[in-house]
Amino acid sequence: MNPNLMNSGAGVSRRSFLESLGGMGGSALLMAGMSALGFGIASANAAPPELGAGGKGKKVIVLGAGVAGMTSAYELSKAGYDVTIIEARDFAGGRCQTARKGFKLTELGGEAQECDFDDGLYINHGPWRIPYHHHSTLHYTKLFNVPLEVFVNDNDASYVAFAKGTGPLAGKAIRKGQIAADTRGSAAEILAKQVKQGALDQQMTAEDREKFLAYLTHEGYLNADLAYKGTDGRGFDIDPGAGVDPGPGKASMPYPLADLLHSNAWRVLSSVTGYEQQRTMFQPVGGMDQIAKGFERHVGKLIRYSTLVKKYRQNDKGVEVTVAGPGGKTETLKADYCICTIPLSVLRQMDMGVSPKFKDAIGAVSYALVGKIGLQMKTRFWEEKHSIYGGHVYTDTPEINTITLPSTGFQSQKGVLLGYYNFGASAAKISALSPRARQDFAAQGGKLAFPEYADNVETSFSAAWHRIEHNLGGWAEWSDDSRKDAYPILCEPDGRLYLAGEHLSHLTGWQAGGIESAWQQIAKLHKRAQAA
Amino acid sequence: MRLTIPMLAVALGLCATPALAADGKELYLDNCAACHQPTGKGIPGAFPALAGSKLAQGDPKEPITRVLKGRGGMPAFSSELNDLEIAKVLTYARVTWGNKGKPVQPAQVTALRTGAKGPTTKPALAH
Repeated sequence: MNPNLMNSGAGVSRRSFLESLGGMGGSALLMAGMSALGFGIASANAAPPELGAGGKGKKVIVLGAGVAGMTSAYELSKAGYDVTIIEARDFAGGRCQTARKGFKLTELGGEAQECDFDDGLYINHGPWRIPYHHHSTLHYTKLFNVPLEVFVNDNDASYVAFAKGTGPLAGKAIRKGQIAADTRGSAAEILAKQVKQGALDQQMTAEDREKFLAYLTHEGYLNADLAYKGTDGRGFDIDPGAGVDPGPGKASMPYPLADLLHSNAWRVLSSVTGYEQQRTMFQPVGGMDQIAKGFERHVGKLIRYSTLVKKYRQNDKGVEVTVAGPGGKTETLKADYCICTIPLSVLRQMDMGVSPKFKDAIGAVSYALVGKIGLQMKTRFWEEKHSIYGGHVYTDTPEINTITLPSTGFQSQKGVLLGYYNFGASAAKISALSPRARQDFAAQGGKLAFPEYADNVETSFSAAWHRIEHNLGGWAEWSDDSRKDAYPILCEPDGRLYLAGEHLSHLTGWQAGGIESAWQQIAKLHKRAQAA
Repeated sequence: MRLTIPMLAVALGLCATPALAADGKELYLDNCAACHQPTGKGIPGAFPALAGSKLAQGDPKEPITRVLKGRGGMPAFSSELNDLEIAKVLTYARVTWGNKGKPVQPAQVTALRTGAKGPTTKPALAH
């Protein structure tokens, strides 16, 4: 809020005080803006470009069988192009991976891991949740019949377990819904009492003031004296039930605002969720790699697996890609165009015959250090003993960050939860540990929230994306400068080379970024091929 | 842990190269070895070697700045490590594995930290 507003009684009308809170032009303009938007969420990126036919006789080599590469191959081959996909791994999907029994990973400089979860259990150590407005991802899940289920991305029953604050609530696990109720209730009480006492009488009309008080009373569960004394939504000390005992149960008492403020637990709250993070999201039933498999059912026959790109050359007639196949045999493939979806972190170290300007731009981006661990727990104590079904436990230990309870398999015997999700220097630190030591570290990370946590750990699978060959990072992280200078260069083709992937979008780190970038690039390629 | 100024002065006085480097080993294994490897040899094609690296042994300004601000796949350590710790870990890397660089003093880190523009990359957000 503009601090001047509080003193604006003299110069600003009472009506325009409220309006000025809404932005530049007041609520009338806001409304016009909303209707101009048509309330629509229709996106230009909701469907693939209509390429029609006309690709016949044109060859395209796609580097990388991740979602961007397979999107390109699927749409281009539908339009008649002759497409070959080169994939370094022996499976398709890129970062769209799921670790379940038998899944193998050896990080660079690390020990070999083979996932030994029980049958039916898995961890999505790459992408793991899908926003409702990622129309592009949802386009293909629908098209390829990949069933979705809800990913519980917010759960009022879950804990905030912060250790680094001060006061009586520091070092305690508190239900998120209680923190939300009590901070908002207390804040509403303070504001409502100020308003009632006339603190904003100079700025507000009597009618506005009454409406505002009504809102605060509703928002903060305030009583007739404008006091917050708790609310049933924060839970009961004794739950209500049958008969006279427990009968109505026993109401719970709110935490004092000062204790909440000093605990820092409020840091996990905001009045609405973020654009990328909604309270409920989606995940494919059975693991994120079901999306990769959906694509693979359609373009698998175009993929040359376990094949490494050794060299890329191009001239005004076409492209040449030298590859080494599974047996190490080298050959040079020719095509009219190339779509390269290899992460820039890897591409910058490859032998690419591109312009110096393009080469410099490839080197201008950073990649995120990201670590995740799936812990197989022998019981679902978070459900059985704590009544938490999905959602995140928030910690203030950066090496743990969040612990995420599975949104699938409710009430079954065992479960795999996400034991840490760390970034940057914290990810570097934990990734230096052996898989076993990571597990031991993670096993201690949940004890503040769950006393039974460490004793339930059976086995684990961990991934540090910055140490994974062919990825070298979780996702692209553009600085303001590189986004301005390098990014636009890479969004345009260099000769006959088109880059695609999450790194060439403003949805970095999301599969939708990879898909929509592929859609843009193949549309450009097609237009050019038609004109040629 | 952040050292107060008198403590830092004491630490500086005692910081002969061997002491700096000895403490630096643990910091190195904790913060750097995941990528640059305990041997300092890195992983060809992925993580640069520090052993034998001209950059690592040369003018301390460049390595200090990289540790403070991060670069490419390397994260910024400016909020993870204090000036003394950065001096220790860099000294370790500059005198180990046959490297012959000069030790880094905490004051050199302090000087660059003040001058170093923070990373413009937004902090990593969960996906």
